[in-house]
Amino acid sequence: MEARDTIGAFGSVDEARPATILEAPSPRYGEKLIKWVLAACALLSVLTTTAIVVSLLVPTFDFFTRDGVGLGEFLFGTGWAPTFQPASFGVLPILVGTLSTSLWGMLFAVPIGLAAAVWLSEYASPRQRKVVKPVLEVLAGIPTVAIGIFGLVFLSPLIEDVFPFMVNVPPFSAGVAGLAIGLMIVPIIASLSDDAMRSVPGGLREAAYGLGSTRMKVSTRVVFPAAISGIIASLVLAGSRAVGETMVVLLVAGASPNLTFDPGSSVLTMTAFIGQTATGDISTGSITYDTIFAVGSLLFVITLALNLFAIRMVRKYREVYE
Amino acid sequence: MGNSPTEQPGRTGRPNEDGQLHSEKPNDDRSPAQGISVIREPARNDDDAWTKDTVFEVKGVTVCYSGKPAVKNVTMDIFRNEVTALIGPSGCGKSTLLRCLNRMNDLISSASVDGEILYRGQDLYGTKVDPVQVRKLVGMVFQKPNPFPKSIYDNIAFGPRVIGMDNVEERVEKALRRAALWDEVKDRLDDNAYGMSGGQQQRLCIARTLAVEPEVILMDEPCSALDPISTGRIEDLMAELKEDFSIVIVTHNMQQAARVSDRTAFLIVELDATEDSRWGQLVEYDETGRIFTNPRDSRTEDYVTGKVG
Repeated sequence: MEARDTIGAFGSVDEARPATILEAPSPRYGEKLIKWVLAACALLSVLTTTAIVVSLLVPTFDFFTRDGVGLGEFLFGTGWAPTFQPASFGVLPILVGTLSTSLWGMLFAVPIGLAAAVWLSEYASPRQRKVVKPVLEVLAGIPTVAIGIFGLVFLSPLIEDVFPFMVNVPPFSAGVAGLAIGLMIVPIIASLSDDAMRSVPGGLREAAYGLGSTRMKVSTRVVFPAAISGIIASLVLAGSRAVGETMVVLLVAGASPNLTFDPGSSVLTMTAFIGQTATGDISTGSITYDTIFAVGSLLFVITLALNLFAIRMVRKYREVYE
Repeated sequence: MGNSPTEQPGRTGRPNEDGQLHSEKPNDDRSPAQGISVIREPARNDDDAWTKDTVFEVKGVTVCYSGKPAVKNVTMDIFRNEVTALIGPSGCGKSTLLRCLNRMNDLISSASVDGEILYRGQDLYGTKVDPVQVRKLVGMVFQKPNPFPKSIYDNIAFGPRVIGMDNVEERVEKALRRAALWDEVKDRLDDNAYGMSGGQQQRLCIARTLAVEPEVILMDEPCSALDPISTGRIEDLMAELKEDFSIVIVTHNMQQAARVSDRTAFLIVELDATEDSRWGQLVEYDETGRIFTNPRDSRTEDYVTGKVG
């Protein structure tokens, strides 16, 4: 009996313990809500991108069907005068204008940007880095219109004095516009490539130094190849900025649709055409209006192709490390 | 810590100053006692061991990071065609000391090295000495296998190419054979090195070091990331390699030091009186057998027998 009592006593103690609650104390509406808010924010950017592409494509379609401009005429025509009479819609001159300013810009910015990145990542002391890197990043944030003005009133006269062949029609020149674009994208290349190279594990550097490599060999044969995917990504971003740059070319490159890669010549780029044409007094549905979108679509296709090309390059040359 | 010599019965004929020094003021470690005298102590009967060629003569070396000492006043001779092990608890500065031997510490801008290190009689830190040249002669294998993200062949060929050696292909094969890796990889030299197992990767790193024909190989806990079988392979390899090279190995694993090394240096973490700074200190350096069976210093005995650490 005694034993039973004891058991009973324990049992009653057990019953006195508060029940364990396994259900949620509240429905947690906040958690559900925030999930939808976050998803909506993510979807918004997808939606805008889609909307931009659609709004580009519809007038572009009109351009080729309603306005009756042939695709061949547009892509391979060598005369660009969409607002003149008789109008001609050969996009080559402004396509080449864009390629020319971007090319000169990249020719200037890629070597300098990469050299700066190698210095920042492999040579600079922590103190030097601490000073230089923020300055570079500030440079990347300067409004492009300021760089355009700088190119127009400072760079262009300077270069005209030193290399007269670079500026045929003062103060406008594709080469100077390219140089100004180059100045603008050097910090992008330097900063992003530096990040990519610094993320290469220190063990790889140590291994190379341990084999008797100089700093130069470590940088070029180990760190640079190991960081190549990040470096290419930085170049693509810089290239996209160069192709898409509007303000600098509008101010510095002049506005003559010359089909030439001559850096001294004045050129009209695709973005500059859009920038100078898309003003308030353009009537919706007119051929000029549709032209803007056709050029915009082409610009979009070029940057898309550039990105796809870059992804393939990255896949091909990437060195995967753990 | 704090073992008084009286706690070590059965140790006769040994001066016990070492144990006492330990409990005294820290500025005593500037004095040339402690461990240092042990090396040159002539009271030994195997004299010929001490007349071997030295590779390194480390004389009163102190290494500081940002002015704080990491290892203080180490003096020891490292001999040719031997495996010399550095053991001791974490933070005792054994890796720091190892990295002085091929001037790897130069890469850390806050590091400074005082004292003198002679490499085959020449001052390793002399003004005219080129660290790049030093590292060609004194190769290094690291704790974590760190192959380059390249093919197996390119990993081995890297050093010879960078240095500008000829017959790269021959050297690659020779290095892989020496590292006992050739048979495993000869059919997949173009595969990426990251496809290998951890143990293979570490042997690849050893082969990569061998390919530039160094005189000394420094190994910084080369087996700490490996399983026992891979570790055994690398230990076997060390035994073979010491015929041609001199090896200095840092290890956490005392059994490993006992198995592979000819001589062992035991380092310890010292604290100053206020315990706000700590540094590594060489306690004892002797033949490995002696360190593990009959050490002179009670702290060494406590460590190797597992009483502390």
